Amino acid sequence: MADPRKLGKRGAYRFGRLGAPPAPRAPWPAAHYPSFAPRRRGPVGAWLLASLAGAAIVAAGALAGWWFLPFLAGLAAGLAVRFGRLRLRTALAAAVAVAAAGWGAALAWLALRDGLPEVAVARSIAALAGLPASAVAAIAVTLLVAVVQAAAGLWLGRALAPGHG
Amino acid sequence: MAERPGRFAGRIINGVVALCVSGAVLGLLAFGYGPLPALGPALDPGRGAWASAAGGVPPRSQALTLPGLAHPVSVAFTSHGVPSIRAGGQADAFLALGYLHARFRLTEMDLERRLGEGRVAQLAGPAGASSDEFELRLGLLRTAQREWAAMPRSSPAAQALLAYSRGVNDYLAQVRADGQWPSIFALAGVYPRDWTPVDSLVLQGVLTQELDFTTTPLDYALLERSLGPARTMAWFPVLPPRAVPQFPYDTGPYRYRGLAPIAPQASAAMAAAQPAAASGAGPATEPGRAAGTATAAATVLSEISQLPPGLVHRAPDSNAWAANGRAVAGGVAMLAGDPHLPQTIPSIWYQAALSAPGLAVTGVTVPGLPGVLIGHNSHIAWSLTDTQNQATLFYAEQTSPRRPGQFFWRGAWRPMRQVRYTIPVRGAAPVRLTVELTVHGPVLTRAGQTTSVDWMGSIPSPDIATLLAVDQARDFAQFRAALAGWRAPAQNFVYADEHGNIGAISAGYYPIVRHGDPWLPLPGTGAGDVAGVIPYRAVPQVYDPPGHVVVTANQRPAGPSYPYYLGTTADFFDPGYRAGQIGALLRGRPRLAPGAFAAIQLNVTDALARRIVPRLLAALHGHPLSAPERAAASLLDGWDGSMTATSAAAALWWTFWGDYLAAVFGPWWRAAKVPVHLDRPGLAVSAQQFSLDQVLEGWTVADPGNRAFTAPGGPRRTAHEVMRSAFGTAVAHLAARLGGPPGTWAWGRLHTRRFPSITHAPGLAYGPRASGGDAWTIDAADGGLTSHAGPTWRMIVSWTGRGSAAAQGVYPGGQSENPASVWYSDQMADWWNGRYLPMPPATGYAAGPIRWHLSPGEG
Repeated sequence: MADPRKLGKRGAYRFGRLGAPPAPRAPWPAAHYPSFAPRRRGPVGAWLLASLAGAAIVAAGALAGWWFLPFLAGLAAGLAVRFGRLRLRTALAAAVAVAAAGWGAALAWLALRDGLPEVAVARSIAALAGLPASAVAAIAVTLLVAVVQAAAGLWLGRALAPGHG
Repeated sequence: MAERPGRFAGRIINGVVALCVSGAVLGLLAFGYGPLPALGPALDPGRGAWASAAGGVPPRSQALTLPGLAHPVSVAFTSHGVPSIRAGGQADAFLALGYLHARFRLTEMDLERRLGEGRVAQLAGPAGASSDEFELRLGLLRTAQREWAAMPRSSPAAQALLAYSRGVNDYLAQVRADGQWPSIFALAGVYPRDWTPVDSLVLQGVLTQELDFTTTPLDYALLERSLGPARTMAWFPVLPPRAVPQFPYDTGPYRYRGLAPIAPQASAAMAAAQPAAASGAGPATEPGRAAGTATAAATVLSEISQLPPGLVHRAPDSNAWAANGRAVAGGVAMLAGDPHLPQTIPSIWYQAALSAPGLAVTGVTVPGLPGVLIGHNSHIAWSLTDTQNQATLFYAEQTSPRRPGQFFWRGAWRPMRQVRYTIPVRGAAPVRLTVELTVHGPVLTRAGQTTSVDWMGSIPSPDIATLLAVDQARDFAQFRAALAGWRAPAQNFVYADEHGNIGAISAGYYPIVRHGDPWLPLPGTGAGDVAGVIPYRAVPQVYDPPGHVVVTANQRPAGPSYPYYLGTTADFFDPGYRAGQIGALLRGRPRLAPGAFAAIQLNVTDALARRIVPRLLAALHGHPLSAPERAAASLLDGWDGSMTATSAAAALWWTFWGDYLAAVFGPWWRAAKVPVHLDRPGLAVSAQQFSLDQVLEGWTVADPGNRAFTAPGGPRRTAHEVMRSAFGTAVAHLAARLGGPPGTWAWGRLHTRRFPSITHAPGLAYGPRASGGDAWTIDAADGGLTSHAGPTWRMIVSWTGRGSAAAQGVYPGGQSENPASVWYSDQMADWWNGRYLPMPPATGYAAGPIRWHLSPGEG
């Protein structure tokens, strides 16, 4: 019986409620952040802005030969998960998008601005790599390299940042 | 609240694992692992393999600064990217050519260089190591180094090589700065080093190997061991059957003029031949017949089978002919040339015109080499075909376990010279290789019988100097004098000039041994050594023949009474099918114009078919045939031998001939257990065995009762019976493979052409496409049902007066090796459809839409 003020009143006693006093209540669990149990998603606008900026930086870096920037973008996202108490799956999606969009934008930039025959080169790269001579295959593998970097960076960033809670 | 210990440990483990995995991912992407390249930099959109896209953009007019130029150079490109280089000096012209070659064919040049220098594995990984080991054994690099060491630096050839290398390196410096490497280098993470004159000479060696290095004596050793000496020499004779006309271009009379010595540089290995401290007698053996020789042959052939295709010469190559006087319209002279080589994309050729004081030449160049190989200048035109003579001799060296590192030669034990190499292998440990050299050449194997090879391509040959002299020759005397120094590969140089003269010379070294059968492995003890070569004045040659026509199509250049050994029927001499057909077409009509020459180059008439099919029809006549066989026979009746892609008769003929060969020789091969698996191209019964083709043709025409038609242990048969049987088999084969009535069995459904990529990436190949032609047609398609060799350049030069030539040419592919470039395969359609493009003039300047101005400077 949870309320002593109901003692002796009608309906206060029900079968099954009379018995041993309830067990002492366990202490409320401490704050716990298992994987995929985020605190919050964070403001969508901020995510979009950060992702756009990240993709632009990754793209510019790729054009300069800094192929490892997707990893750094993932690392930053991982740290943000910790420090910003952000939802992991949102951060992962953002990191992957930044990496893929960054490298994809770099390829598109070269094709559109400089008129480079990127599709033909993609076919050639795929053929030389022993894949079917398809532009899609080479582009997919290229973007995969960026995405794998970003995912690894995110994992590392999240793992190395000091915990909260 | 304090973190629980378990969670803290989990976080530590998570951090450590994340750190390790991230490090592994980054390390893998940055440095690669084993055969996996460093994918991070390789696939970086801005700097990796993607950067090769810049090479796919069509060049536009621009000004460039090239270090090393003495004066400004102008380059005008045609719409197909053919450059006309105009320079103030020859060195500048060659520097510009080197720059252009590197700009448009860097991958091709580096791959060929790696092939010859034993550095394929550095780029391709362990799969390339066997090729590297073989090439380093064979010694293209050693030959090139010796040639360069002996070349006076002030000579025109050395000056051209140095200037050319400078041009290549100017481009390499540029691409190192901008990172726009061809994809293959960025993907592998292995980049070309600077170009040197030795690299050009190695490329010359690779070409020589493709045209001149054969394994015929090893095949003969295996055939003798299985078929027996008598049958081997009956079916692979030295001279072809009399019933098979060869149409030599030099019909004699011939004179024996003794032998000329081999150039002194050739005996570099002789230094190894000083007697060791002790001498002694070696056991007398007959190496060609020894069991160990067969084992050695099997071992070497097995190693050679691992080489990239095309490195061992296996087929006749090329047509070239000239006509003058009444034979040509205008009465001056015309020349046609179409070298048949492995058809790759990009092509072996890069078309260019070079103009500088003392030099005005247009034609095709080979990326990696300065100068025009086939073309014309202001006075003469020339083209080449392979002579097909035997230039590779194998020696069974006498060795003893008690005398390691020594060989027995001329009555004494001699030390072998040893050369050590380290072969870098991408993604694996380097391979160390020790090459042993006897007086004959490198030891190729010690399995069964120590066997060395004496190959004329190992003799330094002043090919660059010769080509530069030919490029500048003004008449036949200068042309002939220029070719006097040519050693390997032996080539038929066909000539036509502005004054209406024509001619041909089969320049090169033809080794003659002191004793023994050169088509077998020879004894290494000295008796079978090369005694000398055919003197230049005695090699086949002709000048202004009375018939006004000279034709070379890899047939024997001289008749059976020629007093020197040239090679056997197994040395890939064309059996006269192409030469006879060309001669007949040239002599059939007077006053031929360039269009008629073009029609001849595109002719796909099979001369063998024209001789055999009437006999086949005669054999079938009056015998019961099934309905499909009757329909098939009616297709052949009246067929003109034209191997067009749409012809069903062509498919029937080709299938019949293969089945006829198999029906005649197959039982003998099986009974003798010929080890076909060791060298299928050299030992299997097929239409690619020109010896068997000629022998069977000869029997069919003149000896239909030959005992060879009767299979071992079988009932007696004649040519007619075997032909009928083979015809039935052919019809059954085609019905099973193609289905439908015989009229639908178009040759193009069976036969295709495919142009493999030089990178060997299947996705970058061109084709396969249904194609006409076969190995014996003038427009040749070599390599079987999926042909990969044939005309790599078609050129017609018509002299219309002094200094005036109308020239046209085309080759399959394009000027750029970059698959993304518009110049990658833009000439393919023209080549395929038999169209020609005007060649830039030798003098002056092509009216091209794109112009480069190259200035001296520091880049």
